[in-house]
Amino acid sequence: MDYRAPVEAYTGVVREITIGKGNKSLKIGGENILPFHFFDQGSNPNPARFALEVLDMKPEDWPEHAVEPYRDVISDPVAWAKKARGFGVDAVSLLLVSTDPAVKDSPADKAAALAKEVAGALDVPLIVYGSGDEVKDVEVLSKVAAACDGMNLLIGPVLKENYEAVGKAILDHGHTAIAQSPLDINLLKELNVKLSKFFPAERIVIDPLSSALGYGMEYSFSLIERVKQIGIMTKDSMTMMPIIANLGGECWKTKQAKENKKQGLLWEGMTAMSLLLAGANIVVLRHPETLKLIKETIQAR
Amino acid sequence: MIIIGENIHVIAKAVSTAIREKDSSVIGDLAKAQTEAGANYVDLNVGPMKKDPEENMRWLVNTVQEATDLPLSIDTMNPVAMEAGLKACKKRPLLNSASGKTDSKAQMLPLAKKYNCNVVISVMTDRGMPPDVDSKIESIMDTVTYANDLGIANEDIWVDPIILPVSTAGEGQRFTVANLEFIKILEDVLPGVKSTVGLSNVSNGVPSELRPLLNAVYLVMLAKNGLYSAIADPLDKDLMRLIKGESPKEVELIHKTMDGGDVDFSTISRKQVEYVKTAKVLMGETLYSDAWLES
Repeated sequence: MDYRAPVEAYTGVVREITIGKGNKSLKIGGENILPFHFFDQGSNPNPARFALEVLDMKPEDWPEHAVEPYRDVISDPVAWAKKARGFGVDAVSLLLVSTDPAVKDSPADKAAALAKEVAGALDVPLIVYGSGDEVKDVEVLSKVAAACDGMNLLIGPVLKENYEAVGKAILDHGHTAIAQSPLDINLLKELNVKLSKFFPAERIVIDPLSSALGYGMEYSFSLIERVKQIGIMTKDSMTMMPIIANLGGECWKTKQAKENKKQGLLWEGMTAMSLLLAGANIVVLRHPETLKLIKETIQAR
Repeated sequence: MIIIGENIHVIAKAVSTAIREKDSSVIGDLAKAQTEAGANYVDLNVGPMKKDPEENMRWLVNTVQEATDLPLSIDTMNPVAMEAGLKACKKRPLLNSASGKTDSKAQMLPLAKKYNCNVVISVMTDRGMPPDVDSKIESIMDTVTYANDLGIANEDIWVDPIILPVSTAGEGQRFTVANLEFIKILEDVLPGVKSTVGLSNVSNGVPSELRPLLNAVYLVMLAKNGLYSAIADPLDKDLMRLIKGESPKEVELIHKTMDGGDVDFSTISRKQVEYVKTAKVLMGETLYSDAWLES
């Protein structure tokens, strides 16, 4: 008797989300198969997407080998973003770290103006991350949303503590939201339930927090895997959203990445590959050479 | 369903103060209220009772027995307090609880034999909490065999699978599903044994206004699978109505949900929708979140 490999077909479909506008737009998600299960019935219309980080200030604690690709633009976020774009990304992620009251507490207006300038200078969509300070981010992200009205940026983090105010600003100005929760599937779902009471679920991307290899990556892996399983296999509407793995900063914080370049690239690369296998739809990296390494790895499949 | 009233519990400040100050009115009132609400046993959960265990336990048992004729469940991990409590009981008590841990086998199980009482035996062992249904069954079979060898009959043993909170990140629902399964197969693997659960723990960590719903629905579900008794709050009217057969339509809806039947939300009340949604969470069909009623 011939062996026939079993073929699974699932009923859940991850929402296909568009970020950016017009010829600058990008689609993420949309799959009705588990990550890389191309042998099952269904498809993943949008392959993994990649973004590189740009900081709104000169980074203070980056090792020399992380600064190196951007040395000439490190104090100019607009030039930095253009250079990052040149490395072949699908999107650029602007991190508004300087707005953090514990860093520089730089004003929201300045951050909003910068976001607008960066978005205008790129021919790919822009992701904007606030500092994560739940209070300051309300002001910063609301002003970013208003300044970039109608550009459909991907903006976050929208947190349990500020989802009403930040969510409203993102909604009113026609953007897409990153809903972030602290590595807990129950809290992740709760935030999506609450946010989607006034915010369209078709415009939410999940950020489950991405820990680095050796620093809790297993938790992120299991969580992303489970979000995808519950969405695709059991059709839970509140987990059928694409996932962003914002892992560059986490990886380059590690002692191992700071020690030397090769180790850093591998650290970031292994974390990224693992989270892609778990089901991440878009990955934010720090080092352009990691991006190259991962793209080569995926193409060699 | 045998309800073991949980309200005399040292974690409640009023109870710990009353025991310390020998205030018989507070304790007596709690015993009476639970009796009137339809409890079948009154649980006396005194914790480790480090101070004057014999005298305190004797006082507590006598005080409760003056207020109610119900049998008592003596709930302490202190074997000295346990023996004093069992000795003072007029009606055949429930020893709550023993387990497969070495200490418990050496100290608690012999007391159950000596005082010829019913005994709660949990699935816990020296290795801790068995993680899944198979290992729970394996552990409890070992401990029950040990108890049988001491001369305790299966009919006097109330097995406790240990209920854990459904809200435990990522894992809670695995526990609630495993315990439903455990109760379902218990009679087949250990014929004649009874069962019990510490029900309220299922809703630990959940917003307090939502806890009674989880408790009540889970009890109905466990009862369907054959649960004999539960340590629960008899003052929870909703729970008592459901479990005493006074809300047959609601119980039927929960059963139908467990059996995989489709329920049309447009034909049932809001409260009934809540029961169905809650059952789906407890059986692991819908992913838990604190907002489970809202989606």
